[in-house]
Amino acid sequence: MSAAVMGAPKVPRLRLPQGHEALLLITLAVLVAGIGMFSHGAFWSRINLDNLFVSSAITLIPAIGMTVVILTGGIDVSTGSMLGLTAAIGGSCFAAGWSLAATVPVFLLTGAGLGLVNAVLIIKGKIPPVIATLGTLSIYRMIVFIVLGSNWITQIPPVLTRVFVVDHALWLPVVALIALGFVIVASLFLRYFRWGRHVYALGNNEEAARLAGIRPERIKLAAYVMLGLLTGFAALLTLGQSPMVQTSTGSGFVLQVIAAVVLGGTSLSGGRGTMAGTLLGTLVVQVVDDGIVLLHIQPFWNGVALGVIILAAIGLSSRRDAGGM
Amino acid sequence: MALVELKGIVKRFGGVVALNGVDLTLVPGEAHALLGENGAGKSTLIRVMTGAIVPDEGSITVGGTTCRFTHPAQASAAGIAAVYQEPMIYPHLSVLENIFAGAEMTGRFGIVRRGAMAAVVRPLLEQLDLPASLLVRRMSSLSIGFQQMVLITKALMLNAGVIIFDEPTSILSQAETDRLFVIIERLRRDGRAIVYITHRLDEIRRIASRVTVLTDGRVSGTALTSDLDEAKLLTLMAGKASRDYGKPLRDRAAPAHGTPALRMAGLTRAGAYQNVDWDVPAGQVTGVYGLVGSGRSEVALAAFGALRPERGTIALEGRPIAPRDPAEAIRLGIGYLPEDRKLQGIFATKPLEANLTAGTIGRFLARGGRLDFAGLRGEALRLIGYYRIKARDETIGIGTLSGGNQQKALFARWAGQSLKVLILDEPTRGIDIGTKAEIHDFIRDLAAGGLAVVVISSDLPEVLAVSDRIIVMRRGGVVGVAEGEAMNAEAILASAVGADARAA
Repeated sequence: MSAAVMGAPKVPRLRLPQGHEALLLITLAVLVAGIGMFSHGAFWSRINLDNLFVSSAITLIPAIGMTVVILTGGIDVSTGSMLGLTAAIGGSCFAAGWSLAATVPVFLLTGAGLGLVNAVLIIKGKIPPVIATLGTLSIYRMIVFIVLGSNWITQIPPVLTRVFVVDHALWLPVVALIALGFVIVASLFLRYFRWGRHVYALGNNEEAARLAGIRPERIKLAAYVMLGLLTGFAALLTLGQSPMVQTSTGSGFVLQVIAAVVLGGTSLSGGRGTMAGTLLGTLVVQVVDDGIVLLHIQPFWNGVALGVIILAAIGLSSRRDAGGM
Repeated sequence: MALVELKGIVKRFGGVVALNGVDLTLVPGEAHALLGENGAGKSTLIRVMTGAIVPDEGSITVGGTTCRFTHPAQASAAGIAAVYQEPMIYPHLSVLENIFAGAEMTGRFGIVRRGAMAAVVRPLLEQLDLPASLLVRRMSSLSIGFQQMVLITKALMLNAGVIIFDEPTSILSQAETDRLFVIIERLRRDGRAIVYITHRLDEIRRIASRVTVLTDGRVSGTALTSDLDEAKLLTLMAGKASRDYGKPLRDRAAPAHGTPALRMAGLTRAGAYQNVDWDVPAGQVTGVYGLVGSGRSEVALAAFGALRPERGTIALEGRPIAPRDPAEAIRLGIGYLPEDRKLQGIFATKPLEANLTAGTIGRFLARGGRLDFAGLRGEALRLIGYYRIKARDETIGIGTLSGGNQQKALFARWAGQSLKVLILDEPTRGIDIGTKAEIHDFIRDLAAGGLAVVVISSDLPEVLAVSDRIIVMRRGGVVGVAEGEAMNAEAILASAVGADARAA
């Protein structure tokens, strides 16, 4: 008997995102060229590019965590409130006169802790991820109001802005360099490490993964806590970008993150997606955002653009899932 | 010497005893068929062996040491692997990754060593006559037969001494089945113990040297296959619900005259079927026999409005129709019981009642458009009683019923509607022989009541047992229509596989 008996295998196609990533690159190039031209060079100014890179980095860092969470078949819609609450708590420490070195762990631990709450609700509470994190989205935001009252926190140490945003290394703002480093590490982790492969296995078929001896709970726990940690770091960076905490800090943020991830080709049903895609998705989302400002389009169109991006990305993604590619 | 010995295995789910003191001995180099009706405890037994569930009582001994599996990883470490009925795969991952999922070879820092993994698996692929190029293919791009082969490769990679096959052929074509049997035979000769679960008699003869039958969570008999003739096997398998399944049925309908209820002529859809003619008379069962991939389901879906043909005509009682979607087809009076009951049939989390009345709910309206709940319950109870669906009551979730009872419920859903044509696609696939015979009776009853019934099946004895006439399909075309005396197994099989064409 030979394999030919069972019919010739169809076209080999191992890594889907190649085509998708190429598409994103082209989209990005067209957007950049178009905005560059119609903004009369404002796009290419150093200050605009730095702004773009800093915003992208702040979206990208949680988007890395979000990619892993979505790869496992879950989602976290509380990221924006999480960012707001972490900023409020960390900002309060700054306001109380804590040093930067003492406050950085507060940001990271608060973020990780809030991620842990989500993980416990989802894993132990057996609440579907969307519902669990919708709940915490609302709860975390309410706590922001409790922490801040009617005050703004403006006592952010200027050193934060200088270190992460103003200072450059290798032509890029430090924060962008850090984000790139994270993407590379996460990408290697997903592709070459056992736990990374288990993330994909879990998202592809949880039951099969369980029967194969993988423990889905541990991976999910790690994914949500990691997302929390990264969001905590992003909260710190947000204060570096604009040194002020208010009750609305981080609202609308999660849409940007999820848009970046799904636009990057990660399937909302889990098991398919790459960090490179998320990087490109983030850049497209941020360039659109930047373009709307530069081209003097009224800012509410930004929300429309974001919505359209998410819908188009998910529509494309479902098509690919259905096509069995 | 026994490789694996199960003694006194008991498993209870709530108040239900799924396994009630099961003993099973697996010997190296022996293929052991495990039979039993749905709900007899076969799947529970497998899951005990693979460590997916922990038994309440009893012991498992592997190679002389007593084991207690609390996690699937322990069972696979002990050399027990299973190839499930519907392959458990990771569709977006490569074949290599599918084989090593959960058992990755890693170097320092947990880095996955793809090269080393490929080196381990290449000789195994060779053993199974699979090309090494398979390793980089995306799993979802493979046919189900190949996916199964990948899972067997995984079992070999884990160096499993025991490989359990849970109805592996129910979704395979004939060629794939033959290939699988060659492989199983080879594995057996290598000295592995094979556990083979099936509902098909001919497979037991081909594969197994020993048969164990489970009934109601107990072993009701174990015997060497060579000691059993067909009748004894059937008695063992059917257990208490012993029926004369397999004999030709009485009272075939006389050849029909006049306009058929459903007539499809010159139907063509590129890549699926070409120039297909089906005549389906009222008051008869028309069998459609063909291997998987012969285009039979696609033609049926054309009549059901789910997959539109590119050319050709469909006529219902002489009037041309062109249903654009299933809703329109149903309104016209065409029903279709899909092949994949889990995916396309049941509403798994809904109660049995809602599943039964899903198609007829519009008939039960009280004043003001409010649903008539009493009427719905009455209809559900009537169907449960008529079709002898075994369920605690009508409020139980259909997902908790056995496969056979789910299938009966789906059948009852369609049978309860006023249709002109009912197409049943693999109506008894993967269900036990007792329920199968019952469903065959129900099918005959429906036809006797004047309905035009189509039974699509790749189970030849079933088609022969239930049909008045048989349409044979191969590679997207009709290759024969048999009626009366012409309906014999050899001739139909020959035209379905194309043997007659070669001989001519």
